[in-house]
Amino acid sequence: MPGARAAWQSALARPARSSLTLLALAAFAALWALAAHALWHSTVPSGLRLAHVDPREMFSARFLARSSSYDRFLQVDALLGQLTLVVVLALYARRGHRLMRESAAGRIGTGMMLGMLGFAVLWIAEVPFGLAAVWWERRHGISHQGYVSSLLTSFLSLGGKFLFVSLALLLAMGLAGVLRRWWWAVAAPAFAGLALLSSFLSIYLIPNTHPLRDRQTTAEVRELARVERVAGTRAEVQDVKRRTTAPNAESVGFGSTRRVILWDTLLDGRFPRDQVRVVIAHELGHIAHHHILERVGWLALFLLPAAGLVALFTRRRGGLARPEAVPVALFVFVLLQLLSVPLTNIVSRRDESEADWSALQATHDPAAARALFRNLATTSLANPDPPTWTYVLYDDHPTIVQRIAMVDAWQARGGR
Amino acid sequence: MSEHPIRLVVSDDLERDRLTAFFRWLLAIPHLIWIALWSIAALLAAIVNWAATLILARSPGWLHRFLAAYVKYATQLYAYLYLAANPYPTFDGQDGYPVDLSIAPPARQSRWTVALRGLLLLPAALIVTALTGAPGGTTSFRRQGSFSLNFGLLYVAAVLAWFAIMARGRMPRGLRDAAAYALSYGAQFWGYALLLTDRYPNSDPLDAVPDLPARADPIHVRVDDDLRRSRLTVFFRLPLAFPHLVWLVLWGIAALLAAIVSWVATLFTGRSPAWAHRFLCAYLRYQLHVYAFLHLIANPFPGFVGRAGSYPLELAVAERQRQNRWKTGFRLVLLIPALLLASAYGTLAATVALLGWFSSLARARMPRGMRNAGALALRYQAQTFGYALLLTDAYPYSGPVRAGVAEAGAGAGEGGGDEGPLASASPAPERPDTPGALPDVGLT
Repeated sequence: MPGARAAWQSALARPARSSLTLLALAAFAALWALAAHALWHSTVPSGLRLAHVDPREMFSARFLARSSSYDRFLQVDALLGQLTLVVVLALYARRGHRLMRESAAGRIGTGMMLGMLGFAVLWIAEVPFGLAAVWWERRHGISHQGYVSSLLTSFLSLGGKFLFVSLALLLAMGLAGVLRRWWWAVAAPAFAGLALLSSFLSIYLIPNTHPLRDRQTTAEVRELARVERVAGTRAEVQDVKRRTTAPNAESVGFGSTRRVILWDTLLDGRFPRDQVRVVIAHELGHIAHHHILERVGWLALFLLPAAGLVALFTRRRGGLARPEAVPVALFVFVLLQLLSVPLTNIVSRRDESEADWSALQATHDPAAARALFRNLATTSLANPDPPTWTYVLYDDHPTIVQRIAMVDAWQARGGR
Repeated sequence: MSEHPIRLVVSDDLERDRLTAFFRWLLAIPHLIWIALWSIAALLAAIVNWAATLILARSPGWLHRFLAAYVKYATQLYAYLYLAANPYPTFDGQDGYPVDLSIAPPARQSRWTVALRGLLLLPAALIVTALTGAPGGTTSFRRQGSFSLNFGLLYVAAVLAWFAIMARGRMPRGLRDAAAYALSYGAQFWGYALLLTDRYPNSDPLDAVPDLPARADPIHVRVDDDLRRSRLTVFFRLPLAFPHLVWLVLWGIAALLAAIVSWVATLFTGRSPAWAHRFLCAYLRYQLHVYAFLHLIANPFPGFVGRAGSYPLELAVAERQRQNRWKTGFRLVLLIPALLLASAYGTLAATVALLGWFSSLARARMPRGMRNAGALALRYQAQTFGYALLLTDAYPYSGPVRAGVAEAGAGAGEGGGDEGPLASASPAPERPDTPGALPDVGLT
C-alpha cells in the first residue's frame, strides 16, 4: 500500500511543516523586534514632559487662519492624490500585463518596462494634483515655479526614477529567476545595501550645490561640529531660491561624505545668524546620532516583510520571475509603503526631536531656537498646530508648538 | 497612394567636370543674382496665388506656371550648386536638366489647407531645415564657447562630394542620391508653400529618388515594422529609454576598449579577432535597437543584450572578413567624412523623432515617410559605427537604397558604388528588386 503510506507520511508532515513555519516566523518577529528596539534608542530624556503651548500666544489669529487654510488645501490635495494613486495602481495591477506586447525585451527587460510604465501612469494620474499644489503655493507666494516648468521638471525627473525602478527590478527579478520563492530573503538585504550606498553617495546627487562661502558661518559650523563630536563635517549651500521661498536644511551622507546642506533661502537675511546657528546644530545633531544609518536600518526592517508580502501576492502571476507579476508587485509595494507612512513619520519625528535636543545642548540658546521655530512657521506658512489626522499622515517633523514646548522643557531642566 | 504631383526626375550620369566643380559657387554668381530677383517676383505672385486659390479652390493657370517654373529653376540651380548635377543650368528652368522636376498641372485644393498653409508648413519646415539646412547654414556660438552647426544633409553631402570629385572626377552615387533626396523634399516643400499642390511633402527617401540601387552591404538594416505605435510608450519614450542610454554608455566603454584591441589585431593579422567581432556586433545591434526605440523608428521596448532577431529594426553584419591594412591603419582619418554625414543624418533622425512623437500620439501610428527617413539615418549611423569598430572595411553608403534582397558579406553594391573618401569598395552586381521580400520597408 505505497499510496496509503505516502498519504500518512504527508498527513504527519503537514503539521510539522506548519509548526516549523510558525517557529521561523516567531524567530523572525523576535529578531525584528530586537532590531527595532535597538534603533528606537534616543538621547532625549525619556521622562521629558512637554507642556501645552498655546499657538495663539505666539502667532496672530490671522496667521493661524492663513496657515491652517494653506496646509489644509495641500494636505487634502495630497490625500486625494494618494487615493488616486492607489486606484490607478490597482487598475494597473489588473491590466498592466497587457502592455507586455509593447516589449521586444526578454523576461527582465519586459518587467523593467512594465515597472517604468507603472510609474508613468502614476505620473499622469498625479499631474492635476501636482499642478493644484503649485497653483496653491504660488498663490501664497511660497513657490516661484511656473506650471510648465514644474511639469517639465517632474517629467524629466522620471528618467532618474525609471533608472531606479529598472535597477530594482533587475535585482529582484534576477534573484527571483534563481531563488524562485525565496528571492525576497536575499533581495531585501541587497536593497538595504544599495540604500546604504546611495546614502553614502547622496551628496554627489544633489543639484546646484556649492561650498559655504561665508567665513563666519563656516567657523560656526566648525565649532558646532567639534561640540557635537562630528569634527570635520562640512556645510554646503544649495541654490533653490529660483523655485521656492521656503527655507530648509538637511544632513546627508556618512563617513567621509557627510555634509550639512543649507538652502540659500535660509541665508537670504530673513533668519538672523543665531537662528542659522541652531539650524546648523540641528543638522549636525542628525549626523552625531547617526540618523542616516538608522534610517537605512529601519528601511531594512521594512523591506524584509514588504518583499516577503510582494513575493506572496505575486505567486498567482507566477512569481516575480515573470514580467506579468510586475504590476502586482508595484501595487503591493506602493500600498505597503503608503500604509507604513504613519509609522515612518513616528520614527522621523523621534529623530527630529533628538536633533532639536542636540541643537539645544550644543548652542545653549533657547531664545534663538524659539525664534527660529516661529520664523520657520511664518516663512513657510506651516500650521503650528495641525489637526491630528494630518499630523499622523503627513508630519515627519514635530509640530512647531511641540518644538517650542521642547525648548521650554529643556530650559525648565536648567539647560541639561 | 498616387504619385506626388511634384517629382524629382534624375538622369544624371555622375560624371563631373573637375574645373567647373572647383569653381562651382563662383560660376553660379549670375544665377544667384537672377534667383534673388525671381524670388521677389515669386513672393508677390505667391501672395496673389494664395488669395486666388482661397477663392477659386484652384491655382490660376498662369500663376501656377510662373511659380512652377520658379521652383523648377531653383531645384536645378541648387542641384548645380550642391554638385548633384554637372551642366550649367539655363536661366528659365527648361526641361531636360539632369536633376529636374516634374510638376503636375493645377488641381483642386482644399480651401482649409490653403487658408492654414502657413501653419501646416511648420513641421515640413523642420524637416527641410534638417535636409537642406537653414538658408546658408547657421552657426550659433553659446556663452560657454561651444558651438553648433546646422548645414543640413545637402550641404554636408556637397562638401564631401567636392573632395571626391576633385580626386575621381565623378560624383559618388550615394552622395548624389542623398543630395537628390534633400532636393526632392525641398522642391515639394516649396511647391506646397507656393500652393502648387495641396499634397504634403513626402519625407520618404524611397519615393524621393527614382531607380535607387539595391545593395548588399556588409552592414545593413532590415526593417520589419508595422508603423503602429503605443501612445503610452510614445509619450514616455525619452524617460523609458534612460536605463538603456545608461547601459549603452557602460557597454560603449567596453566596446571602445575592445575596438582598440581589435584595431591592433586587425593591423597585424588583417582580420579582427572573432570574439571582438561578435562582441562589437552585439553592441552595434543593441545601439541600433535603442536608437530606433528612442527615435520612434520602431515601437517595442528593446532588450538589453542586442539579441539578433529580437527587434523590428534588425542589424545584419557580415561574417568577419579580411580587411585592408591601409584602411585599418588610417581608419580614424578615413572616418571623418562619414562622421560628418552621420551627424547630418543624426539631425534628420532627431527631427523625425520630434515630429513623429506628435504624430504618433495623435494617430497611434508613425508616418511611413518619417519612419523610412529615420531608418535611413540610423542605417547610415550604424554603418559608420560599424566601420569605426572595424566590423568591416567597406565604407558606409550614404544614400537611400531600394528594398530588396541583401545578403551580408557580399561586399559593396552597385551604382557608381561606394563613396569612401577617396576609394571605393569591391563592387558587386546590382541585384534585381524582389517585390514583397520586405514589404513596406525598403531600407536594407
